[in-house]
Amino acid sequence: MNTLTVLNVIFITDELFELQVERGDVQFEPGACVALFNNGDESRPYSIAAGSEEDILRFLIRRVPNGLVSDWLAQRKPGDLVQASAPFGWFRPGRSVNGERSIFIATGTGIAPFLSYLRSYPLQIPELCLYGVRRLEEGFNLKELQNLYNFRLALSQEEVSSHFHGRVTGLLELIPLATDIHYYLCGLDTMIDETSKWLEDHGVAYTQIHREIFFYEDATL
Amino acid sequence: MKMQRSDEWLNTSQNEPRGYIQPQKLDELWFHTGTNCNLRCPFCFEGSKPGDNRIEFLTLKEARGFIDEALELGVKKFSFTGGEPFVNPEFIQILDYALEHRPCLVLTNATEPLMNQIGEVLPLRDKPNPLNFRVSLDHPDPVKHDESRGRGNFRKALDTLGRLHRGGFGVSIARQMLTDEDSDTVDQAYAPYFENAGVPANLLIIKFPEFHLPGSLPQVAEITESCMTRFISPEQRATFMCSFSKMIVKKNGQCGVYACTLVDDVENYDLGNTLHDAMKQRVLLGHHRCYSCFAGGASCSEGS
Ligand SMILES: Cc1cc2nc3c(=O)[nH]c(=O)nc-3n(C[C@H](O)[C@H](O)[C@H](O)COP(=O)(O)OP(=O)(O)OC[C@H]3O[C@@H](n4cnc5c(N)ncnc54)[C@H](O)[C@@H]3O)c2cc1C
Ligand code: SF4
Repeated sequence: MNTLTVLNVIFITDELFELQVERGDVQFEPGACVALFNNGDESRPYSIAAGSEEDILRFLIRRVPNGLVSDWLAQRKPGDLVQASAPFGWFRPGRSVNGERSIFIATGTGIAPFLSYLRSYPLQIPELCLYGVRRLEEGFNLKELQNLYNFRLALSQEEVSSHFHGRVTGLLELIPLATDIHYYLCGLDTMIDETSKWLEDHGVAYTQIHREIFFYEDATL
Repeated sequence: MKMQRSDEWLNTSQNEPRGYIQPQKLDELWFHTGTNCNLRCPFCFEGSKPGDNRIEFLTLKEARGFIDEALELGVKKFSFTGGEPFVNPEFIQILDYALEHRPCLVLTNATEPLMNQIGEVLPLRDKPNPLNFRVSLDHPDPVKHDESRGRGNFRKALDTLGRLHRGGFGVSIARQMLTDEDSDTVDQAYAPYFENAGVPANLLIIKFPEFHLPGSLPQVAEITESCMTRFISPEQRATFMCSFSKMIVKKNGQCGVYACTLVDDVENYDLGNTLHDAMKQRVLLGHHRCYSCFAGGASCSEGS
């Protein structure tokens, strides 16, 4: 167990924030999460958004109303302490450093493992990165992401010129299909289910599709 | 830490000699891969959840040592449980090594950790020994299963079960056994789901009674030496898991050999650091889960 000092809590909207904590000697691979604890015994996994060479750890968190952990984390102040497990995970966009071709598709805070990858391996750019949020203000680190030549943003509840209006699954036709590409999907369950099905229907092998669900669409969130 | 032989442990609260099992042979060696799990099921008798390390990740180096020692003792199969084994970063390598030597069984919730690594798992069908998976499908009702395991997880587990079967592996399922259930009716209710997944209708279904959370102390009858000799024949005693199997558990950076798969929350069942030592030790039946074996013949094994 690690005790990490809070450095900053930066809200981008009322419900979305970046939690920055001291790194201590935490070692991780992009895609890893840690379980963060509230002041009691409850813990939840959160994906690390920082690069593996950064001095701090970053988490992109959606504050769930009355959520036992996310709500508590949202109320932290610089200097507070947070308990965290060692990093672990089963979603590894970082495996592509071996020269694999990859495609990233995220919704909401699901961009965190991809930001970690892009920050850790800035020269290993995915063939395509699709990111879906409801409104422009909900997009995390858009400036950084828009530097990628192959980044597309989908806004489901707002029309903004130069961005796709609709759910990110409306952009599936842009996805290159090849047997050696790995497809990494992270965020909302319905996006992941729909995209996995679309990929399999288009001949992509199940073994090339990697999933990480953070949130469920039909919850009262 | 070795089993302590205090009077309190050797005798029941009524001061009668406690019942015990003298291990006979090592047919099956279980490995606990760690209590870190992607799910956090409220009933989990291991208390597993994301990031948990009550029982730590076993490494390939540690597992190899016990696999080699077990082979010297004539082990017939290796079995793995967690947590979710596929959360352990070295698990596929451990399995790869074990399959060089003996058939293996893996207990899994068959969700993202396995789904995401299935490309590395499928080649294991070409190993010299067969690999079987036992997938948890608690109830023949997706809603009930998902109530505790989390939304969508019945569907994912069922889908993975079908893919493993089509991939050439042996599969079975584990389910919870409710008190007063009509077991045949419950088993039969799985049929449409099995058909849907493309697995045989007569798939092996392992039923587990309520085991209670780690560290809990439910009231159960104590097992005395006289119960074990009057009501349980030597043949029946030989079917107790602690008679023919052991489990490797890593806590606080050290691996210990535990009496069976059900008692890793009590240090008295840590029988030492080597299998040779552990096999010589009597297992005193003082855990509430020992009563499940005594009364209902609970077993995690599937036979060889
Ligand atoms: C591997 C993994 C990585 C994750 N990484 C991140 C991350 O980087 N950023 C992030 O914001 N979240 C992430 N999550 C989700 C996070 O772990 C928690 O589920 C979330 O923060 C809610 O926890 P809570 O304790 O605040 O709410 P809880 O007290 O658990 O829940 C309060 C209520 O909210 C609803 N609810 C809670 N969680 C969910 C959910 N996931 N989907 C739908 N409804 C829900 C339920 O109705 C519940 O009754 C991740 C989840 C997983 C499995
Ligand atoms: S999936 Fe299994 S090990 Fe994981 S929490 Fe649920 S019951 Fe426990």
